Amino acid sequence: MARYAMVLDTRRCIGCHSCTVACKVHNDLPVDMIYNPVTTVGPVGVFPHVHMEFIPLLCMHCANPPCVECCPTTASQQREDGIVWVDENKCVGCKACVMACPYGARIPNHEKGVVQKCDFCKDRLVLGKEPYCVATCHQRARIFGDLDDESSEVYRLVNQENVVRLLPELGTEPYVFYIMD
Amino acid sequence: MKPKEDIWGWMLAVDFFFAGMGGGMLVIIGVVEMFLGEGRTSLIANFIAPLFVALGALLLILELGRPFQAWRVFLNPKAILTIGAWCMLMAIGFGLIYATFGIKALPWSGWVVIRKLVAVFCVIFGLVVATYPGVLLGRHKSRPFWTGFGMVTLFLTSSLVTGSSAHLLCNLILPPAKLEISTILPYLAAGLLAFQLIFWILYMWMKKTGTTDREAQAIQSWINGDASIGFWGGFLFAGSLIPIVLLLIPSAISYLIGVILVLLAGLWMRINVIHAGKTRTWLPGEERYRGRLPLGDEAFLKAWLKD
Amino acid sequence: MSKNIDLTQEGIQVKRSCCFFCHQNCGVLAYVKDGRILEIEGDPNNPTNQGALCCRGNIALKHLDHPARVNYPLKRKGKRGSGEWERISWDQALDEIAAKLDQIRNEFGAEAVTTAGGTQRTDDWARRRFMNLYGSPNGFHNAHLCWIPTFMVETAIYGWCPFETDLTSSRCLVQWGHNPGASGMPEMRGINDLKQKGLKVIVIDPKFTETASKADLWLPLRPGSDLALALAWLNVIIWEGLYDAAFIENCCVGFNELAQHVKDYTPEWAAPLTWLDPELIREGARMYATNKPGNIQWGVAIDQSGTPAGAAMHARALLRAVTGNLDAPGSDLLTGPSKEFITDEEMEANEWLPEEQKAKQIGSDRYKITSWPGYGKIAQLCKDVWGKAPTAEWMCEAHPPSVYRAILTGEPYPVKALLVSATNPVNSYGESLQVLEALRKVDFLVTCEYWMTPSSMLSDYVLPIAGALERPTFHSVYGCSDFVIATQRAIQPMYERRTDFDFWRDLGIRLGQAEMWPWETLEEANYYRIYPLGYGVSSYDEFVEKVFYHFPEREYYKYGRIGFATPSRRVELVSSTLAELGYPSMPTYIGPAENENDDPDLAEKFPLVLTTGGGFMPFHHSEHFQIEELRFLRYEPYMDINPTTADKLGIKDGDWVWIETERGRIKQKANLTQGIHPRVIVTQRGWWYPEREACEPELGGCLESNTNVLTSVADKDCDPIGGSWANRGLLCRVYKVESSTITSGSNGKDGK
Repeated sequence: MARYAMVLDTRRCIGCHSCTVACKVHNDLPVDMIYNPVTTVGPVGVFPHVHMEFIPLLCMHCANPPCVECCPTTASQQREDGIVWVDENKCVGCKACVMACPYGARIPNHEKGVVQKCDFCKDRLVLGKEPYCVATCHQRARIFGDLDDESSEVYRLVNQENVVRLLPELGTEPYVFYIMD
Repeated sequence: MKPKEDIWGWMLAVDFFFAGMGGGMLVIIGVVEMFLGEGRTSLIANFIAPLFVALGALLLILELGRPFQAWRVFLNPKAILTIGAWCMLMAIGFGLIYATFGIKALPWSGWVVIRKLVAVFCVIFGLVVATYPGVLLGRHKSRPFWTGFGMVTLFLTSSLVTGSSAHLLCNLILPPAKLEISTILPYLAAGLLAFQLIFWILYMWMKKTGTTDREAQAIQSWINGDASIGFWGGFLFAGSLIPIVLLLIPSAISYLIGVILVLLAGLWMRINVIHAGKTRTWLPGEERYRGRLPLGDEAFLKAWLKD
Repeated sequence: MSKNIDLTQEGIQVKRSCCFFCHQNCGVLAYVKDGRILEIEGDPNNPTNQGALCCRGNIALKHLDHPARVNYPLKRKGKRGSGEWERISWDQALDEIAAKLDQIRNEFGAEAVTTAGGTQRTDDWARRRFMNLYGSPNGFHNAHLCWIPTFMVETAIYGWCPFETDLTSSRCLVQWGHNPGASGMPEMRGINDLKQKGLKVIVIDPKFTETASKADLWLPLRPGSDLALALAWLNVIIWEGLYDAAFIENCCVGFNELAQHVKDYTPEWAAPLTWLDPELIREGARMYATNKPGNIQWGVAIDQSGTPAGAAMHARALLRAVTGNLDAPGSDLLTGPSKEFITDEEMEANEWLPEEQKAKQIGSDRYKITSWPGYGKIAQLCKDVWGKAPTAEWMCEAHPPSVYRAILTGEPYPVKALLVSATNPVNSYGESLQVLEALRKVDFLVTCEYWMTPSSMLSDYVLPIAGALERPTFHSVYGCSDFVIATQRAIQPMYERRTDFDFWRDLGIRLGQAEMWPWETLEEANYYRIYPLGYGVSSYDEFVEKVFYHFPEREYYKYGRIGFATPSRRVELVSSTLAELGYPSMPTYIGPAENENDDPDLAEKFPLVLTTGGGFMPFHHSEHFQIEELRFLRYEPYMDINPTTADKLGIKDGDWVWIETERGRIKQKANLTQGIHPRVIVTQRGWWYPEREACEPELGGCLESNTNVLTSVADKDCDPIGGSWANRGLLCRVYKVESSTITSGSNGKDGK
């Protein structure tokens, strides 16, 4: 069984927002919905001794997703391959998951009355394609793959590079890893 | 700048208020029935308690993105919201059944064992309805204002405070057949208020000196920021301390004013607690990013809408 | 356009098209069925983008059929700028425009007709061909601000512009006023890749840009002081003996003169001018000179610096020469023009423009290297050595501010018509207030556009133009590369849009040029151009589908075989061509367009230093403010200010502030950042508000936040060599907008 994961190489990300737009446009989201913001940290320090990082965000597809257990309708669910997704037919838009997610990855769709989120473009994976945000990234700062596959790029990066996860103290065990400089 | 993020709104807070108050009332109704017998709470209170819970449930439904699919919230027994939904349903049902025992024309009004049993369920489900919002909020590890066990106590206390106050109000309108509880109620409410007052101050102190900076920051606006006047002057002083004094003066007018203040304070507290949860533990750079996004009513968003 | 569309369904054709929203021309695969594009994605086989697309590329389908697009020829009904339009046919539009142009030529001479362009997303050879055959030398773009003067100065010195950076084996890359991290995504990917293999990156930029954040060394110089820095680098490299003695000995002339010339331009001399520590200046020079091979990639900043621009690009060009970083593996390559396909220049019919008309080119008496006097000379040298010349469109144009001034003053002669294509001059050209007056005043104004821009709002005719997916694109770096990447239309133009090739051709035919336009379609013309490559294809589309791109085998050190295309056939460290044109043969220090040393009084009134015009995602120049998906990410303009300065001025992050120069003032929101010097201000370019009224006096809010209100085109602020006007290194002041004068960011009115 696969276990999907993403590695974000902040050494390469330049904060161009291409992934944000690609995701929104190709997933046909309303203008105000963003699954994968890219934030800017900095410039930190005092001129001219500064540094700056760009942090691409998205659903962390946690091993312990608080958004799944809090869902009263079972619309919010996790597949065996780790992908956390929302069955829109079952979702009633109670926003329990919006509140529960520590990563801001749950976005209410006001047109549909449901909550939606990044699902690693699971429908594209079936076709053998990468998620839109990965395919569109000029910088190759987003690396997607199967962490159970020891020959995969994500496996190599997670095991060889200095990777961190966001808010590890919450015990959510994200499957999105950040390579920091 | 206000970071734009969709969160729970005021309707959920009002839901928590009414459902909590109804739950608190049911607890009192049930306990009184179990240990003291029937006829000691106002018939209006008996009916209005489950109706408050129902009103809360209605608001909860209206808050949903798809209200007509509301039945789906009963489907995940592991989710606190599902447990809450079932308990609200049970509380409404048992509360209404219990209330009907007060109508002597009905044939079952004399079935004492059943009445006692229903009262037990009223206590159980009332207690859960009064408590679960606190459990729900307290479990949000990434919402520093809420996180922790304190919310449970605060919501339960507030539910009992508003519940006992509501009983007092009902008694003023339609006194119960037997009056001994009515004389205790103001003292009960005042005592709970005193506990609430102390516990809120403790809660703030714990957050401020607590485990993380985020928690200290989260309560900052309550201690000396935008919400501080509402909190110190409104909720604690006008909504807790003054009513304690008023409830200790045995007069209908002072009870009435006291109860109104308590209820307003309870409402304020829930709306502002829900609002305070808006502040998530921000990820690096996230606050500025969201702070610079449009709010949704900007002209450019409407200029080219097709039809 | 969503993931719900089945792209494997029957009847779908995949077209190899491209993106047109900047110069990179990334490849786009379009999934077409029944003449409609269902989905697009980055073309994984395109050598430029390798499957990726930036923000702008991704919104191609939103752009294609956006409700605000101009889809039919429009003729104004009411007064100019009244916003009242009548839909007419193309035939009527072309007949009437042709009649008017004929009348103007008869009354005032062909030179009274001018054309304005923007950045390259048009069929420019067709425009030039039309203008040459019509008889006017007065076409122009923002060329003087973007690469063109650099190209010409470098060609004067070493016979071609070494714009191709051979990065694969490079060890050091200098990004001089260039931020591919926000403007050139494919370039930035290459840098990221190579950095991980040890490439050293130096970024010279007043602002801590995306690119600077990845650099090994950041030199935050005072805006506009590039010349001082380049001279100091020359001094360090020459006087510390870091130069390439063999290359200088074998390939250059004038080294000793240059060495003496730069002797006093020490880092200590440059420090107070550049606001850089002398040791930092030395460190940069040494890093570039000792990590060979190395590259200095072109960046737009120097081209936009006005007065000192020509000398600065001259000095920067000499750095490559003294280090021998020319046409060697890993260095900047002198590829020369293509000998294999028909270049833009060969399509332009420049030989048809009479000499007396060339002499009338506006500005050519002053800014010679980018107009007929300098171009003519340099083009001949190129023909002698390379066999072909650089493109004349772009490299040899009228001086835009002088044209706008001619419209207003009638000097040196009356200008009666302006044909605008792919540009919004009010926002894109210098000193917007003057440009706006010129657009209001010019007798006849025609705009070829996608949108109703502030400039097209003022036009007599607005013509709907086909976008990237609706036209074939022949990508050869302004006609100057030796390679070509060819892409095709995904669909025929929607509604009544046409390519600008169609526009110029049809206009030309109506003005008696019929036999000069043998190609009925752009595909036919492109086929004519690629035919000599000899791939044996029978159409342009077949070329795109089977061949796609043509990259000739790299030949290093070509100068050994053919020499450099200069009068001496060597690299001229002392330039005879510049001297012949009346310019200094070696770069001599000139201060920034406006500066505290030359004009302390001005600096007292305007104590901060302004730089304008850097690219930022997700927009491009003045484009895309209509695209909601992009605008949502940055819906208001932001200027950069150091927190220390902001604090002194009582400005908080997110406050609206006025930025004012001698020309006027605009407002943007304050972005407090430690990424700039406390005395420097950076404004965002391009801003207008297409959601506002598309008529006078609002004109889409085109002045409110438009940084070109602040720039200067005064002759004294223009570079005498190449005609660049001053966008960088200006003096300004900043103060808070009082809240009563604004309503909100996106719909507030100017409070003046």
